[in-house]
Amino acid sequence: MKKPTICITSLTCCEGCQIAILDLGERFLGLAGKIKIGDFAFLEERPESETFDIAFVEGAPITEKNKERLLDLRKRSKVLVALGACACLGGIAEIKDYQDKNERVRYVYKNIESIENPDIIPLRDLVKVDLEIPGCPINKEEFLDIVKKLIMVVSQGLLMEQMPKPAQRPVCYDCQLKRNVCLLQEGLLCLGPMMLGGCGAPCPSSGYPCDGCRGPLKNVNPDNLNRQLIKQGYSQQEIDMILQRFGVLEEIYPMPPSAT
Amino acid sequence: MRIKIDHIAKIEGHAGFVADIVNGRAEKALFSVLEGSRLLEGILRDRKCAEVSQIAARICGVCPVVHNLTSLKALEGALGVEVSGQTILLRKLMMLGQIINSHALHVFFFSLSDFFGIENDLGLIERYPQKAQQALAIREFANKIIEIIGGRSIHPLTPEVGGFIRLPKTESIKQIGENAKKILPQAIELARFFAKLNYPKFERETNFVSLVNAKEYPIYEGELSINGKQKYALKDFMQLVKEAQVSYDGVKRTSIEQNSYMVGAIARINNNHKQLNKEAKKILKASRIKLPSKNPFHNILAQAVEVVHCFEETMKIVKTCHLESFDFSQDKLREGSHRRHEGDSSASPQNDKISAGSGYGAIEAPRGTLFYFYEVGENGLVENCNIITPTAQNIARLEEDLKIWLPELQNFPEKEIQDKIRMLVRAYDPCLTCATH
Repeated sequence: MKKPTICITSLTCCEGCQIAILDLGERFLGLAGKIKIGDFAFLEERPESETFDIAFVEGAPITEKNKERLLDLRKRSKVLVALGACACLGGIAEIKDYQDKNERVRYVYKNIESIENPDIIPLRDLVKVDLEIPGCPINKEEFLDIVKKLIMVVSQGLLMEQMPKPAQRPVCYDCQLKRNVCLLQEGLLCLGPMMLGGCGAPCPSSGYPCDGCRGPLKNVNPDNLNRQLIKQGYSQQEIDMILQRFGVLEEIYPMPPSAT
Repeated sequence: MRIKIDHIAKIEGHAGFVADIVNGRAEKALFSVLEGSRLLEGILRDRKCAEVSQIAARICGVCPVVHNLTSLKALEGALGVEVSGQTILLRKLMMLGQIINSHALHVFFFSLSDFFGIENDLGLIERYPQKAQQALAIREFANKIIEIIGGRSIHPLTPEVGGFIRLPKTESIKQIGENAKKILPQAIELARFFAKLNYPKFERETNFVSLVNAKEYPIYEGELSINGKQKYALKDFMQLVKEAQVSYDGVKRTSIEQNSYMVGAIARINNNHKQLNKEAKKILKASRIKLPSKNPFHNILAQAVEVVHCFEETMKIVKTCHLESFDFSQDKLREGSHRRHEGDSSASPQNDKISAGSGYGAIEAPRGTLFYFYEVGENGLVENCNIITPTAQNIARLEEDLKIWLPELQNFPEKEIQDKIRMLVRAYDPCLTCATH
């Protein structure tokens, strides 16, 4: 069986998802033996492979160079995987889009001519994305599991449609497996019921309510949870502020609120 | 002669380099950062104190702990919140974990291959399988510390204004101590290996900036110092640091009285080496480098020495912790936690505790001193914010180094010149996601 050529790369982000991959430690090295590393700037300095079987891309496309890089990677890769909240949702960089982003850039920089300040969009708005591995950061166990399946799919010449799909379960599912006390029932503003699980619920397990870094469940109706939270004394604005954190707000509501 | 490197690998983030050598002089030497601006100081404004430290942690996936904690320290300054001794101990443990894991990544995976001309770490791992295992074991130990206290190693969850939303089990802290004892010999062995490496000879006068603290080798708190001599209160020092934008990227270069300066492990060792723990001191001595060292390549050795120091320090702190079980009642603002702030602030009983004000925070991040400033309004929202990261401070000196070093290198083949430039850049351990933020 031919070893698939893998690219792990980033656009603009914190690079925490790549660190999560390195944090697999020995298990990453085990994986590295089964693949050909075509590009992974954390570990090597060689010229990139011409083409990739699988490209993992983390980060948001902020600069023109980021966008060119993404388009180029798409052309050169059989399978393109978006890695983490920035690539799947926009991530924290998108917060400015809910504010006055032109005022924000002037606040940070005196000369704004050279600073690129586009609206932040997920990768799928620019290129065809074959798979999204969400989270801020990604769940490294989930990543390992998906990569193993992907390698099998790619090296057997299967189609992406034959790739097993992650289940559409809420964070509450993971939380119950951990036998956590329900933070929502405790009165906290936890968004677990409408957010995509698979993370292993590290946040609620630490007493930190889910803030939706993995994005919403498909076709979720937020009304029930909103009603419940408002009954508990929270305002819609407070809920929306949390939905802004990783660029989730417009994923849940069909039309994004206009910037103020 | 033009020297151009489009992309330098094995650093955090993206950067390139271009220089022109004309008549034996470097006309320009630009280290250009290819990172988009996420406008962090802008986007944190008008947001609640309870959430900004979580967002700030996302500046960096390599050192999220230091952004999270420095942000909290600045907020605590602004809100007039004091934290307990217990909180400080636990935060220090998290810091030690952060420094160890970041340094282990840098010295072994980013820098070491430069000494052997290996372009691929898998080749390096094949050549030094035992060293690779040590580096991995060290990183895993460090991640575990952050996980036990912070709930997660990348973007920790439990630290909040005034303390923690959840405290670790006393048992788990004990486990950290036992693991530290077990893995310390591996850290020592790895550091000894770095003490024996042949570092390129390049020295240049500069000012070294770090925290100083009469009580300890400071990573979490202290005054600021230049070369271990003049001392400044944090607020005064932050006003001394001038930030200036450049035309070719989004990282503001910093200076103090028009001079560049250096922060990071070598600055800390230069300023504070007398306070290192025993084993770390031994390795430093065995390396025979003369202190203060003006050689930026020694930053790599300094990091390896600090890894050992941090192991020893972890054991010390665990010893201090182990007599008592952790107790929320020790934290003064326990009630003003994340939980309540996330709720309707007008209905919160804590609302009256929020007072407008401004605050400063500084910490020794793995790459050097990290500064935060916040101004918080009456409504509990952030009004103003400034963040000065270690790499943003170091880039000005790095660019000057390159300008002076390049003419000395010009008779080497071009590939070799490029390799040496890359090696110097990596010795600084730049983090460009931090620098741009």
